[in-house]
Amino acid sequence: MSRTQHIIPSGIIFAVGCWIAWISYTQQPAEAFLFPRLISSVFVVLAAWTFGKALMGLSRVGTGVSRTMIINLVPGLVVALIYIFWAAKTFGFYTATTVAFFILLSLYDPAPHNEARTWVKRAVITAGFIAVMYGLFAMLLKVYTPREILF
Amino acid sequence: MEFIYYFGDVFSPLSFALLLGGTIGGLILGATPGLSPTMAVALLIPFTFQLEAVQGLILLGAAYTSTVAGGAVSAILLKIPGAPANIATTLDGHTMAKKGQGARALQLSFLASAVGGVFGVLLLIFLTPVLAQWALAFGPSHLFWLAILGVTVIGSLDSDSVVKGLLSGCIGLWLATIGFDDIMGAQRFIFHPSLGGGINIIAALIGLFAIPQVLTMFAKGRKTQGAEVIEVQKHSVGKAAGELVRNPRALTIGTITGSIIGLIPGVGGQIAGLVAYDQTKKFSPDQDKFGTGHPEGVIAAESANNAMVGPSLVPLLTLSIPGSPTAAVLLGGLLIHGIFPGTDLFDNHPDVAWTFINSMLIGQILMCIFGLYVAGLAARVAQVPQSVMAAVVLGLSVFGAYSVQSSMGDVYVMACLGVMMFFLERYGFSAAPLVLGLILGPIAEANFIQGSMIANASVGMGPYFLGGPLNIFLMVVVAASVAYSVWTELRTRKVQNAVEVQS
Amino acid sequence: MMKNWIAGAAVALMGLTGGAMAQDYPDRPLMMMVSYGAGGATDFQARIVTMTAGNEDALGMPIAIINKPGAGGRVGWNWFATQADADGYTLGAYNVPHFIAQSIKGGVQYSTDSFEPIANWGADPAVFVVAADSEFNSMDDVVAFAKENPGKLTFSGAGLFVGHHIAALQIEKAAGVKMAYIPTKGGGAAAMKAVIAGEVMGGVNNLSDAFRAQEAGNVKILGVADLERSTFLPDVPTMKEQGLDVDNSSVNFRGVMVPKGTPPEVIERLAATVPAMFENSRVAKKMKAGGSPMHIMTRDEVIEMWAAREQTLKELLAGL
Repeated sequence: MSRTQHIIPSGIIFAVGCWIAWISYTQQPAEAFLFPRLISSVFVVLAAWTFGKALMGLSRVGTGVSRTMIINLVPGLVVALIYIFWAAKTFGFYTATTVAFFILLSLYDPAPHNEARTWVKRAVITAGFIAVMYGLFAMLLKVYTPREILF
Repeated sequence: MEFIYYFGDVFSPLSFALLLGGTIGGLILGATPGLSPTMAVALLIPFTFQLEAVQGLILLGAAYTSTVAGGAVSAILLKIPGAPANIATTLDGHTMAKKGQGARALQLSFLASAVGGVFGVLLLIFLTPVLAQWALAFGPSHLFWLAILGVTVIGSLDSDSVVKGLLSGCIGLWLATIGFDDIMGAQRFIFHPSLGGGINIIAALIGLFAIPQVLTMFAKGRKTQGAEVIEVQKHSVGKAAGELVRNPRALTIGTITGSIIGLIPGVGGQIAGLVAYDQTKKFSPDQDKFGTGHPEGVIAAESANNAMVGPSLVPLLTLSIPGSPTAAVLLGGLLIHGIFPGTDLFDNHPDVAWTFINSMLIGQILMCIFGLYVAGLAARVAQVPQSVMAAVVLGLSVFGAYSVQSSMGDVYVMACLGVMMFFLERYGFSAAPLVLGLILGPIAEANFIQGSMIANASVGMGPYFLGGPLNIFLMVVVAASVAYSVWTELRTRKVQNAVEVQS
Repeated sequence: MMKNWIAGAAVALMGLTGGAMAQDYPDRPLMMMVSYGAGGATDFQARIVTMTAGNEDALGMPIAIINKPGAGGRVGWNWFATQADADGYTLGAYNVPHFIAQSIKGGVQYSTDSFEPIANWGADPAVFVVAADSEFNSMDDVVAFAKENPGKLTFSGAGLFVGHHIAALQIEKAAGVKMAYIPTKGGGAAAMKAVIAGEVMGGVNNLSDAFRAQEAGNVKILGVADLERSTFLPDVPTMKEQGLDVDNSSVNFRGVMVPKGTPPEVIERLAATVPAMFENSRVAKKMKAGGSPMHIMTRDEVIEMWAAREQTLKELLAGL
């Protein structure tokens, strides 16, 4: 794995560490920031060590990310983030979950997209999962979830 | 031996029906991400309004027992630890499930839970007065050293690089300081209103363990049918029992560590599993196998988890002090019926006290039977394609993070931590030490500050934190733990160097 | 003509929806935010007093309890003041003097103006406790020790700027001594554990919890920080009886409120129904069994009580 791949994450962590340390040492009241000061000091030392190792190309642990991996990941990640940060609250938990579940299943299910059977199967799996969740949590245990549209 | 006299009460038809209901309900609740044992017991409290005191407590006792064990189901099959107690279970349990040994891991975990659990309840029955003194012996200075002992575990826990393990731990310690500081009330690192309440530990757990796994499945893309499936092969219960007997070391260390640590008010439940896992690893000849689906890891973690259940109730039942959030909820269940834990409970309501304790004993065994049945079912469902798995885990994660305190803020925190962890994992950082930091940070900080306030008003910092037999004992253990980690690190380096020279 | 007809229809429609709003409310379950953890005294009492909400003569809809614990209640009340929907379906539990003292001290996003009280259900006075084997037998002993050893007498309480802390400040001020107040993380239970285990020499705690601990034989209760003796503890004298000028400012009043901006007709409906709901005999029986003193107050009485507390607390905290 290339050296740049290690430099970027360890660089970000080092920057975050410095920033935490700066906040910890400047904010008041001092008593409340005693512990953050201690932690951030150790944090910066360890992060500097890791960053230094990455700069010298000595980092070995980890598999890194590859192009194919990112290309595979992006559609699912985007759907998941829209679901979590917007749809779940706007449409209500169960409605949003149904839609997100079906889209994700369709995106990553290896079965051919041009057969009607595949789509029926996907719909059945989605319906089954939602039915179990709704029956158990909403009907039986009455756990509170956001409700906006439909259910 | 008074408890035997009250055994009959557990087997009256209504009581036994409640015991069964509580156990099955508890397993389902425990297996649901986000519903920790505390939440599960709190959800069941309204049902006890209608019941007699004894029967209400049977329901709660059975539910407490089985939710702790039920957490292993989602930890092993889905890699979603339902509560801090199940973190250690995911480390080897989920790796075993990935290799198709999910049923075996579940069977081992339920059998180990039952052994640990029964031992814990027996301790509660026979040694309560002694244990009560032990629970009180831990003051702020001792809890501080105990948290430091936990920190020393960080570097060696489930990480290929010690420095990156420690750095992960530091990230966790820092995340724990976000929000209002509990004692002074000062605001720390609140960049977004969702962080006002700090980072909820259960939402964080779900994010750090489950979300990276979902993203990993996404990253594999559309694979052809059958290439990547999560498969659960059948495994016979007899074989699992045999395996448990052949691993007495993990079982003993897990049970004993769990019972001792579970007793300490405010700390025990969360770290019992992790400490037991780490100790077993240190004493095991095949250290390298831990984290790669080694049965010993599952046995140690789960026996410790359930061994903690009995002793964790000692401070509540004898001193009327709830030592854990779950115990606090149980206290509510007692108070609603006008029963005060403490001497009043054992002197004036022995039928309630002993029936409750007995129901936990029987509950452990019932939990094991139903748990093994669940393991069998899991094997029948078998082969779940990864596309389905990813969507299921994502949906359950959102539900779980939300239901902890009905807050979308927790869901956002979960998602952010999850995406961050996915990328950090690619570069050798790992979730287990990070979570340990997140748990131990507040314990260490609060006890240090409280201890130093007491010390400054009384004997002074030095004697308060460094004096006394228990402080010295804990410091020796901390030193030994650090020395051992350094020694193993040096030894493996030597071996690696030797290998490199040869090749 | 047509215009009038439309206008009339519009008025009728508005009247209809407005009326329907008040009449149908509540048409779905309500939730009540408690800013302390599950199992704490506030949570426990909130669950009992709301258990009859689903009855036809009460609200006709159940109330679910949602816990948002952290930082002595600040987390929950901040959420309630800034993020809770003011639609009448989101209720909150208040603890006076806690939230008022915190708003005076600053650093939070709420004050008495952020909330609309509905009704009060309980009043739990603070008491001074020592371990059962302590050498202190009265507040006089405590004050005498504190006079001889200024700043050396350690005593625990559930945090800073909560009822316990207010009582501690009042005791120190009344006796003219300096003692070491140790706030604990983990609420009253942790503070009580510190007293029983001998980590501290004494402590301020809730009457209900202290009563239970005394029954278990673990602590002695030396004084009650209230105007009158408690019916639970007829033998324990008040602070005033022992020569310490401490009033009822630290008494922990618990009740229900809604965020500012909730429709007035909803507030009216709640203010009329909720006190009656608290008076239910089943509620009273369960509260008594749990050792929790009840004190029912209507909306108007609570508004007055909040204003009075704010006044006294401002004076007390001015020197800090």
